[in-house]
Amino acid sequence: MPDFSLTPEQESLRDLARKFARTEMAPHAAECDRVSRFPEEIYRKAFDLGLLNLNVPAEYGGSGLGLFDQCLMVEELAYGCGGMTTTVIAHCLAVEPILLAGTPEQKERLLKPFCAEYHLASFALTEPSGGSDPGSMRTLARKEGDDYVLSGEKCFISNAPQASLFVVFANTDPSLRHKGVTAFVVPRSAKGVSVGPDDEKMGHRASSTATIRLDDVRVPASDRLGAEGTGFSLAMRTLDQTRTPIGALATGIAQAALDHAASYSLKRETFGKPISEHQAIQIKLANMAQAVHAARLLTWHAAWLIDRGQKGTLESSIAKCFASDAAFDVADEAIQTFGGYGYMREYPVEKLLRDAKLTQIYEGANEIQRIVIARELLRGYG
Amino acid sequence: MEIVVCVKPVPDAETRLRVAPDGTTLDIEAVKFVLTGYDESAVEQALLLKEATPGSKVHVVSAGPPPRAEEALRASLALGCDLATWVETPPGVSPDPLSAARALARAISTIPHDLVLCGKNAGDDEAGVVAGALAELLGVPDHSAVLDLRWDAASSRLRFQRSTEAGMEKWEAPLPCVVALQQAWNDPRTAKLPAILKSRRSPIAKVASEPIASTAGTTRPTKFELPPPRTGAKLIEFKTPEEAAQKLVKVLKEEAKVFP
Repeated sequence: MPDFSLTPEQESLRDLARKFARTEMAPHAAECDRVSRFPEEIYRKAFDLGLLNLNVPAEYGGSGLGLFDQCLMVEELAYGCGGMTTTVIAHCLAVEPILLAGTPEQKERLLKPFCAEYHLASFALTEPSGGSDPGSMRTLARKEGDDYVLSGEKCFISNAPQASLFVVFANTDPSLRHKGVTAFVVPRSAKGVSVGPDDEKMGHRASSTATIRLDDVRVPASDRLGAEGTGFSLAMRTLDQTRTPIGALATGIAQAALDHAASYSLKRETFGKPISEHQAIQIKLANMAQAVHAARLLTWHAAWLIDRGQKGTLESSIAKCFASDAAFDVADEAIQTFGGYGYMREYPVEKLLRDAKLTQIYEGANEIQRIVIARELLRGYG
Repeated sequence: MEIVVCVKPVPDAETRLRVAPDGTTLDIEAVKFVLTGYDESAVEQALLLKEATPGSKVHVVSAGPPPRAEEALRASLALGCDLATWVETPPGVSPDPLSAARALARAISTIPHDLVLCGKNAGDDEAGVVAGALAELLGVPDHSAVLDLRWDAASSRLRFQRSTEAGMEKWEAPLPCVVALQQAWNDPRTAKLPAILKSRRSPIAKVASEPIASTAGTTRPTKFELPPPRTGAKLIEFKTPEEAAQKLVKVLKEEAKVFP
């Protein structure tokens, strides 16, 4: 029988994330959003408490959580601030290919420093000409002796302004299209790496995003992750792991929107009674609650399957797509519940809508998720 | 130094409490239990003393029902306590203060203890009995409402302050003793994620409690009632401070009848 109860250990982990989100993140969320500040002191505290390297096994000094437990924590963190949570999960995303394809020597050398001291990593797949079509990748890796020489441009790269290490996907043989894509680790200090200015974003303004340029960056073969040509499959396997936490992040935003709307509806009076007593608002709240609940359960189910060793491509795509659409809709309805106040920056709900929007786009736009869902679905009928 | 710290799980202040149908206990079905704030300070103090005094160990002890007493002990282990002992009492309500003191004394008398730290009282019943009773049962002095506890190795004395109605007192005292700590003069640390995971696997020594009914002098609550709901606040709208003051005085005189 499925069991939806959490273990005492999971309760403790969730409590830790909840406390951190509400005491360390939430009080600074509005200010960081307003001025687009990357609150490094908060990320350092998160690192100290073991909240940064959630997916890195304990043998390398990480927290070594399964996907379900990561999702529990990510939802709580996102309740405090979606943007700050993006910094955390973008780091987890960047170390995932090392976990999946790194040799024992590479894992030891590359992962341990991230767990010993506060540093961020960055996952560099997307290019200006397209993020959802890695086959047309223009960043090239030219073999020269034992080294590779990388040239190209990667954009919308989360954590890039602060990252000490990039996981870069480049094509070693463009004639093979996606079968030529290969993954490399590139230290920020490597000659020829340059990082552009922070991008001005609509939401997630406590996280940082930038374009990186690679101008003839020399990378030794020992910094190639996996064999030549396996980069596309590695990127897909990485996203299979990290898609579900986006569902959790979106659920956290949605829950925050519902909580704000419900509390406000009990206080705000129109026509002589709290608006919570008007059916128009009750129906909104009921629909929002259904969306939040379904988003959470889809996320839990996908994470549970993947923790049991299944690929969970269909379920994680459904969870990510549904939860992010739900977050956007619930945040939208929260603004509507607040009326004019909801549109004002002084109130917390308009930020939630801006933050929710990104969850429909990053780590595989929802259009791509629907293609994946349809493909997986139709397999069962062919 | 062998430091023992006693902890009690209490309902989280954010929990909505309900009285159970029997009218003499709380409905604990949906209650989340946490370390009481005074005990958080006591654990923090124990860890600070341990860090300042090489070779020290902190042993956390709790007398209470499953699963909340075990959870309080695991939370303390996650914060950095070295060992844990649980006097398991029957499921349901927490033991009354004197029974708790007896259970704790029996457990503590079997483990090394130079210094026994407690919160000065628990955030739920506010009885403030355990530390004094524990000292009596262990046959050592006790110091209450203590702040800023330090160990002076040169003189082998504890140095601390006590907050009293007359002001702050400065004290020194030898070991062994029981110290009941005031809340939150220190900023209790947060357990780190790996420590939380490790604490789940740490052993907890279990001591059976003697049946509560066989101990003399125990107390039991006869009735619990929730406080009456608060009536709504009145908001005074105004354009100038003078207008606000005039309207406020009018309300105080005519509605609240604070002034004649």
